[in-house]
Amino acid sequence: MTPTRTIVPPTSVVKTMSPGTHDGGGANPLLVVWRAFATIWSVPKARIGLALLGFFVILAVFAPLLAPYAATDNTFGRSEDMSPAHWLGTTAAGQDVLSQIIYGARVSVFVGFVAGLLSTIIAVLIGLSWGYLRGPAGEVINFIVNLFLVIPALPLMIVIAAYLQNGGIGMIVLVVVITGWAWGARVLRSQTQSLRSRDFVTAAIFSGESPSRIVFREILPNMTSLIVGSFFGASTAAILAEAGLEFLGLGDSTTVSWGTMLFWAQNSNALLTGQWVLLFAPGLCISLLATSMSLINFGVDGLSNPRLREGAKR
Amino acid sequence: MKQLRGHLIRTAFAVVGVTALLATSACSMDVKNQASGPSDGSLLVAADNGSPTFEKNFNPFSTSKRVATTYMYEPLQVTNTLDGKATPFLATGNTLPDAKTVVYDIRTDVKWSDGTAFTPADVAYTFNLVKEIPALDTWGVWQHIESLEVVGDTVVFRLLTEDVPAAAIIDQQLIVPEHIWKDVKDPVTFKNEEPVTTGPFVLDTFTANQYTLTKNADYWQADKVEVEKLVLPAANSQLDVVKNGYDWAYAFITDVEGTWVNADKQHNKYWFPPGGTITLSPNLTKAPYNDVNFRQGLSLALDREKIATDAEQGYVDAAGQNGLLLPNQEAWLNADLPDGGAVAQDEAAALAAFEKAGYTQQGDKMVDAAGTQLSITILTANGYTDWLQGLQTVQSQLGELGIDVKLSQPQPAAYTEALSKGDFDIAMNSFGGTGSVFQDMNTLLNSEFATPIGTGTTGNYGRFSDPKVDALLAELKSSTDEADQMAISAQLQTVLYEQLPVISMFYGGLWGLSSDKNFTNWPSEDNAYAPPNTWNSTPLLILTNLKKAN
Amino acid sequence: MRYTLSKIGLLLLTLWAAVTLNFLLPRLMPGSPADAAIAKLAQNGPVSPSTRAAIEAQLGVPTGSAWNQYVEYLNNVVHFDFGVSYTFFPQSVASLVGTALPWTLVLVGFVTIVAFIFGTLLGVLAAWKRGSWLDTLPTVGGTFASAFPYFWTALLLLFFLGYVAGWFPTSGAYSSSATPELSVPFLLDALYHSILPATTILITSLGGWILGMRSTMINTLGDDYVTFAEANGLHPRTVAIRYAARNAILPNLTSFGLALGGVVGGSLLVERVFSYPGVGYLLYTAVVNQDFPLMQALFLIITISVLLANFIVDILYGILDPRTRR
Repeated sequence: MTPTRTIVPPTSVVKTMSPGTHDGGGANPLLVVWRAFATIWSVPKARIGLALLGFFVILAVFAPLLAPYAATDNTFGRSEDMSPAHWLGTTAAGQDVLSQIIYGARVSVFVGFVAGLLSTIIAVLIGLSWGYLRGPAGEVINFIVNLFLVIPALPLMIVIAAYLQNGGIGMIVLVVVITGWAWGARVLRSQTQSLRSRDFVTAAIFSGESPSRIVFREILPNMTSLIVGSFFGASTAAILAEAGLEFLGLGDSTTVSWGTMLFWAQNSNALLTGQWVLLFAPGLCISLLATSMSLINFGVDGLSNPRLREGAKR
Repeated sequence: MKQLRGHLIRTAFAVVGVTALLATSACSMDVKNQASGPSDGSLLVAADNGSPTFEKNFNPFSTSKRVATTYMYEPLQVTNTLDGKATPFLATGNTLPDAKTVVYDIRTDVKWSDGTAFTPADVAYTFNLVKEIPALDTWGVWQHIESLEVVGDTVVFRLLTEDVPAAAIIDQQLIVPEHIWKDVKDPVTFKNEEPVTTGPFVLDTFTANQYTLTKNADYWQADKVEVEKLVLPAANSQLDVVKNGYDWAYAFITDVEGTWVNADKQHNKYWFPPGGTITLSPNLTKAPYNDVNFRQGLSLALDREKIATDAEQGYVDAAGQNGLLLPNQEAWLNADLPDGGAVAQDEAAALAAFEKAGYTQQGDKMVDAAGTQLSITILTANGYTDWLQGLQTVQSQLGELGIDVKLSQPQPAAYTEALSKGDFDIAMNSFGGTGSVFQDMNTLLNSEFATPIGTGTTGNYGRFSDPKVDALLAELKSSTDEADQMAISAQLQTVLYEQLPVISMFYGGLWGLSSDKNFTNWPSEDNAYAPPNTWNSTPLLILTNLKKAN
Repeated sequence: MRYTLSKIGLLLLTLWAAVTLNFLLPRLMPGSPADAAIAKLAQNGPVSPSTRAAIEAQLGVPTGSAWNQYVEYLNNVVHFDFGVSYTFFPQSVASLVGTALPWTLVLVGFVTIVAFIFGTLLGVLAAWKRGSWLDTLPTVGGTFASAFPYFWTALLLLFFLGYVAGWFPTSGAYSSSATPELSVPFLLDALYHSILPATTILITSLGGWILGMRSTMINTLGDDYVTFAEANGLHPRTVAIRYAARNAILPNLTSFGLALGGVVGGSLLVERVFSYPGVGYLLYTAVVNQDFPLMQALFLIITISVLLANFIVDILYGILDPRTRR
């Protein structure tokens, strides 16, 4: 639920970064992506993560083909047990649970990617300029970020969600982004600060490059693994936050997602009718999707720091 | 590297294995009734939910009082909200010499639980206290009373206007002892931790997790009370209710047969009588909702049976366009209404009505003269899941005619605000259930509540306004003759049927669960002497009717 | 000294901003406390028009301009006067918070410390024995468990261990017949009731500490001074604990300060599932009932405790690692 839970402490990477190992602007972007993928794939844990994530993405994309029924079709018997017709049974409203699980992947994957991407972008913009700037401007940003870090995220989300009623998934993404960017910004700032005093940056300053160019062309590429890592971290947090908000009934309960499935299961007391699968399956899917992101992060560490590469014994 | 992979694979297998085992071992796990339940004359009731624990507050005027406060304090009379019949409590009855006067005969053999005698002066004191401090006047009695005086063993109320239904409101005021309350500094914030009462029960023990009441040995009708002790825990989840062998609970439970009844087939019963009508309430100040043809079209497009089934899992009936709670108010039904006011789904008639309102079906879309698709937004409260499920069916039924239906679900507080200020197209809302046909109709239709949009109101949220209806309501208010009342009510039902100020859909149930293992004679369909709810004063009816099981 | 002073200045500024935000947030929510009270009553049946007037009169819903309310609020905050709760009227906010706070402090505080210590140790072990089962099991297990939604873990534990097996109580912080007191039977009773909620928080928070410590530890193990110590022939265990772990724990300490806020937020869901009478449940109740006074006080307490925790960690950090003072 809380974005602060799976954390790689900020200073960890600072000390060991070896700057200048990036490929520079000249390389084919496709090749860079492929090389990054290959690096991550070479780590067994990350490989499992990638496979899991791929599975859920396929589930989300091909949901209409894979699901046996429509997700909102409520013409079946209520609260039925598992049967060949309904592998995971039916809900209290008479919908097929398996179909809901498959369609539900869409929301979680979507929220994970979009909210993760947006909060990473904000974190990068703020974190980098904050780390590079000195003086009052830096202090102001420092103050704002600290404020967002100390205000309890979940209660803040609840208040914002109550205020921005009716927004559905868009609202949830917004809430998650508002409350989720600060941590990444803080991590990225530490890294920027550390890189700023390195020789290659000093060299760039002396050659008269503009600050924005230094920040985004010189410093940014050195933080690929950190940024990718913070993206996966933010995605995980977003997926869990979305589930939590919807479980509390603060989302749009008519959308079919794993979070709303849990909400309806709890609401119709699935445990009482003995259908604990209704609670178990969506929760397991949320956990597995979030796990896949964390597992990939094991490989991401190795992107710009060979020493962190898993399996590479010292 | 290889070693690591081996471990990973093994771990993965273990996880998958355990998951598969869990998934196949038990499709459903029954939670059985485990507790044997109390059999010492005590009654376990799920009436008061702590959040999550109890704060001690037995102030009968407070809105955050402990629920069982009303099991200890008594009003003058208790009305069965199902049929409007009153049972005398602290009064032995009332008479109306004219439509502006109510005379209550006060019971003389009653003692407060501290031994002091109860007198008509206590009644007068209570009403005067409520007048002096309007924050205590939760029933709004002083919107009806002009003055009151004690005359011998009676209390005479003079009313502001000819106001026959006022008696039903005066009935409900809980009476407090003058000798205690006259020394209370601030009755609004008073927590009344040691309640002195007249009712069948007195406070026994109190902890943050549970409180108990014991039988009041000096109760004036002690012979009617067979329950020795009431136990009210703070945690009453539905799992607890089913598992711990409760005697009485108020809860909407999914699959009540498979859960509650299944836990103790022999004893566990349920009864879900209608407690209000759930409606779609169009905003009558807005086009096209102010067009009766449009409303007619909406009404005819709905399959109310299906909506009722989807919303409340088949536990309640569809409601007719008559404003009554059937079958309990059957006697009041206007015999001239076709089908008793029930409206069946009729697509052709709906399309015809929409056409009169200026909307035609083009392809699979309902469009106006300009060719734009008809799109309506229905307001409901977030978390009212049964309503939401009903609305999803409404959405698909109207969708079949080509109407685009959007749902707006703010938090309950924001929903209440939008409703009160008229900030909606169509709102899902409930009305009725007070037991008084006048109260139900008046709050629904009286133009006095139809404040301008943006100004808050507490009834008639759709802002219905018709001088003829106001005149009928005034007539009903001043009528002392039941035959007259019924005739006027019949006319009001015709208004509801023809003008559709609200579109009735289904009844909201009162979700009563009871077990006759320890006590019998619970209210039921055949013996509807009280609604099964656990709050307000109607539980007094139940607690004075229960019999010990053999 | 300048370091400490500037930290204190920032602390005060952040505190003021948080206090102000606490004032604004509840007021941004649509609907008034009276609307919330009526919505709650309406679920039990029709609310008569006159009830609304009485409720508004009882609650004494705030009047005056927003600015006057703000000034009054600031004044009250300085005097630790949080007023009367709307939901639990006429109970004072101070007494409500006073009753709830110890439960959360003990439950969440204790579990967080245990999780931190235990997780850090496992992390050290995982990094030291990298590649062995001592690494794989805690890392993969921790990753998986920390991906469990708090409420889901709570629900599953509640159902299987509470209801089906019947081993643990299913709600509350102590038995229904008990009254809180400082006696051995009561403390044992409370301990028994806290096992399931505590396990939930432990399961979901342990993984974060393991992974965090493992990752910093691996970095530190690669540092020159560690290599140097190893080259000098020191025992590997001495190197791991005396040299690497001691330095690696610093960044984890920062996370600890920040995690406290997150854990309080997470405990909201756990407390709700277990009906545990702590601050999280109280906050949930306050939010759904638009209980401004209660919400403000709780937000303030949580914010202040996180701020203070961070302040202390910052100061400690400054003492332990002189490099940050620059």
